[in-house]
Amino acid sequence: MVTEEIKKQLRAAVGNEYVLDSEIDRFGYSYDSSFVSIADKNQPEVVVRPATTEEVAAVMKIANANGIAVTPRGTSSGRTGGSIPLAGGIALSLTRFDKILELDEKNMMVWAEAGVRTIDLYNHCAAKGLFYPPDPASWKYSTLGGNIAENAGGMRAVKYGVTNNYVMGLEVVLANGDIIHTGGKALKNVTGYNLTQLFVGSEGTLGVVTKVLLRLIPMPKVRNTLQLMFTELNDACDTIHDMLQSGVIPAAAELMDKISFQAVARHRKLDIDPAIAACVVVEIDGPDTAALDEQANKIKEIAGRHAVKEVRIAGSFQESEDIWAIRRGLSSAIGAMAPNRFGEDISVPRDAFPDMIRRIRKISEKYNLTIAVYGHAGDGNLHPSVLCDMANPEHAGKVHHCIAEIFDEALAVGGTLSGEHGIGITKKPYLVKALGEAGVAAHKAIKLSLDPKGILNPGKIWEN
Amino acid sequence: MKSQQELLQKVQEIVSQCDRCGTCLTVCPLYGVKDVESSSARGKNNLALGLLLGVIKPTPEVQEAMNFCLLCRTCVDNCPTKVQTDEAMMAIRQYLAQTSGNVSLEYKVLGALMKNRLLVRLSAGALGVMRAIGVNKLIPHGVVPCEFTREQYTAAFAGPMALGAPVDRPAPAVTADSRVAYFRGCGMEMMFPDAANKTREILSSITQPLFPDNTCCGLLHIAHGMQDDFYQMAKENIRLFENADIVVTDCASCSSTLKHFGKCFAEDPEWKDRAEAFSKKVMDLTEYLVKVGYTPRQKTNATITFHEPCHLGRGQGVRKQPRELLKAAGNYVEMKGADACCGGAGSFHIDYPEISASLLDKKRINIENTHADIVVTECPTCLVQMNKAAERSGGKFKVMHISQVL
Repeated sequence: MVTEEIKKQLRAAVGNEYVLDSEIDRFGYSYDSSFVSIADKNQPEVVVRPATTEEVAAVMKIANANGIAVTPRGTSSGRTGGSIPLAGGIALSLTRFDKILELDEKNMMVWAEAGVRTIDLYNHCAAKGLFYPPDPASWKYSTLGGNIAENAGGMRAVKYGVTNNYVMGLEVVLANGDIIHTGGKALKNVTGYNLTQLFVGSEGTLGVVTKVLLRLIPMPKVRNTLQLMFTELNDACDTIHDMLQSGVIPAAAELMDKISFQAVARHRKLDIDPAIAACVVVEIDGPDTAALDEQANKIKEIAGRHAVKEVRIAGSFQESEDIWAIRRGLSSAIGAMAPNRFGEDISVPRDAFPDMIRRIRKISEKYNLTIAVYGHAGDGNLHPSVLCDMANPEHAGKVHHCIAEIFDEALAVGGTLSGEHGIGITKKPYLVKALGEAGVAAHKAIKLSLDPKGILNPGKIWEN
Repeated sequence: MKSQQELLQKVQEIVSQCDRCGTCLTVCPLYGVKDVESSSARGKNNLALGLLLGVIKPTPEVQEAMNFCLLCRTCVDNCPTKVQTDEAMMAIRQYLAQTSGNVSLEYKVLGALMKNRLLVRLSAGALGVMRAIGVNKLIPHGVVPCEFTREQYTAAFAGPMALGAPVDRPAPAVTADSRVAYFRGCGMEMMFPDAANKTREILSSITQPLFPDNTCCGLLHIAHGMQDDFYQMAKENIRLFENADIVVTDCASCSSTLKHFGKCFAEDPEWKDRAEAFSKKVMDLTEYLVKVGYTPRQKTNATITFHEPCHLGRGQGVRKQPRELLKAAGNYVEMKGADACCGGAGSFHIDYPEISASLLDKKRINIENTHADIVVTECPTCLVQMNKAAERSGGKFKVMHISQVL
């Protein structure tokens, strides 16, 4: 319970203006971009907006002394409820941590505060010819702190990896208010546990990340885009596997199944061949156009061996944009197909991709629910979207069973519950199935040692 | 006219489309100045949803939060699912006004003033007197703006005769058999009579325009919970312009509102066809001028930049036409963020002077960076704001309505 006395202490710590407790403000910090309904009363008792690490530490000391829940958040664009203050208490907004502190060109690293938006960091580094590759779909509005908390991925993962591959060090405020620094600029570093990577993907349950040190790579000089159309899903997947095995690593390889592709074609009023069962958008990059041409020709040749129906190699920047617009328009096009959409985020071994899609088809038939599937075929991360109308009691009754079966099948093919969205609230019922009782117990033991009172983002990742 | 049930249904249809992704947080001008969730489109849409679901009670604070929106449509333009936040805000304001019986006194006074043609003309006279004796400088927030007239402009920027000579105008294409009527906006009439007169002159030089004694377009009324007045005036205007083929107005807010009549009456069997026919006739002034191939009377040596009113660019998709005309009227230079809201937004600048001033400051810096002599726009509220910016800049630039430079 956040009493008036505690609010007074919080105001003293961060300034009057940055402690909000009106009904409207508490409501405004009660939701994220997941399908957790806002009807559930997940309102914090108070919203606190510190601007410095010291202020965060002061807030944590107050919270720890009084056993008050603290849920850190950036712009709340998460997909699984990670930043929803489920246990009330304090919603700790870090959007005032918005400074890029140091771009170290020689070491190719950058220090930034947790509330910096991903795209702003990208642009800042790109201006100096340096490349921060992780590009979650939300990168225009998501923050680095959120990317780290959920270990965000993106389309470039197939070639460049995900957020954790770039995190070199962190400044973290622990539950008791202590400030620690993990990792650093040294590339080789085995001094102690790898705490940096422990915090990556910890969903705000172990500490509050305030500053991040990220590794950069040289910016690829040129890029191009290809669109490949297949009448068989298997052919599309086989093409991607052969590409990777032959050493042609695309910067992105995005696959859309028939339902997804037709949805976006309708939305964008494109004329398409109804026989197309899979559309793959491939991005390639390299040092010069000759290297791009070589990759494009190789991809064309490989796709030809797998009965590709149509290969389109963008001839201009505009054509590249047109092809990418198909992929970017996908989410809204699918969303427009039904009143409710449950977008999931499973990840399977790359070779299980076609098998997983077939299993999803069977589930779709069994429950008589439309499921559109698209995803990052290059890395095995799929986004099945279950389309339904929750106002229809028949749909409402079965949709969660349908999703549970998708998770079961993902685990059955050696995959996992989440590739890039995290577990948050929405997937915690399935955690034991994925990790086993002992696995979950190990998580709880780590949590208990860093946050003995359980005040950091309670109620997330596993069922209490 | 929409019942409370219909209003709620409309709000529900719009706000339930919000995916809560957060794109609008990066573009909403208000969030840029006051970065708390309730300032953003996502914040307001979900507050409305919370209201519908009963999670939030309809308090005066909620009503206040719903008023805190520029209706500038920047969020709509950038939203992946194109959630029509401005329409949701207008509908929820109407609903809250009806249920609480509470339209703020200020809107009631303004609404009553603008509904009455005589009062509009009287206040225009009063503003003229105030301007003449210079008290407009003393009134805060620029409610009574300065007006830089066409005569002053041509005197200052006439330039060499080669540029100043009248240009042969090609015969306008649509004027031959179409009856053009001028829709006079209240804001133009009350605050910028010279500009309104210049519009009349331009139209008269092209065709033989009709000048019906129209009433207010009703934007203030529909935006602030006075839909009864809106529908009453809309019907009056539809009747009044039935004998015209084209309705031209020099106020971006009027033209965008008039173009919406068809949609507003879509569920009214008696008025739907007439309203739709009316809306189809409406053209913004620059849209009309480009259509008829109008060439500005002279090209001056003034450097001109353009502030694009929200209701012109995002509201009607009229972006190229004013720029095309201005390129022929002077040395045109595009400013950074020309389409960013200036913070005027109807009566927003009176309700939230500080927030409005921060938005305007960004605009002023962008104008100053162009080193333009003149900033041109096409909306009386924007003109009020631009005048404040000009004053703040210490007279680095003058402010004019587009009719005054064409």
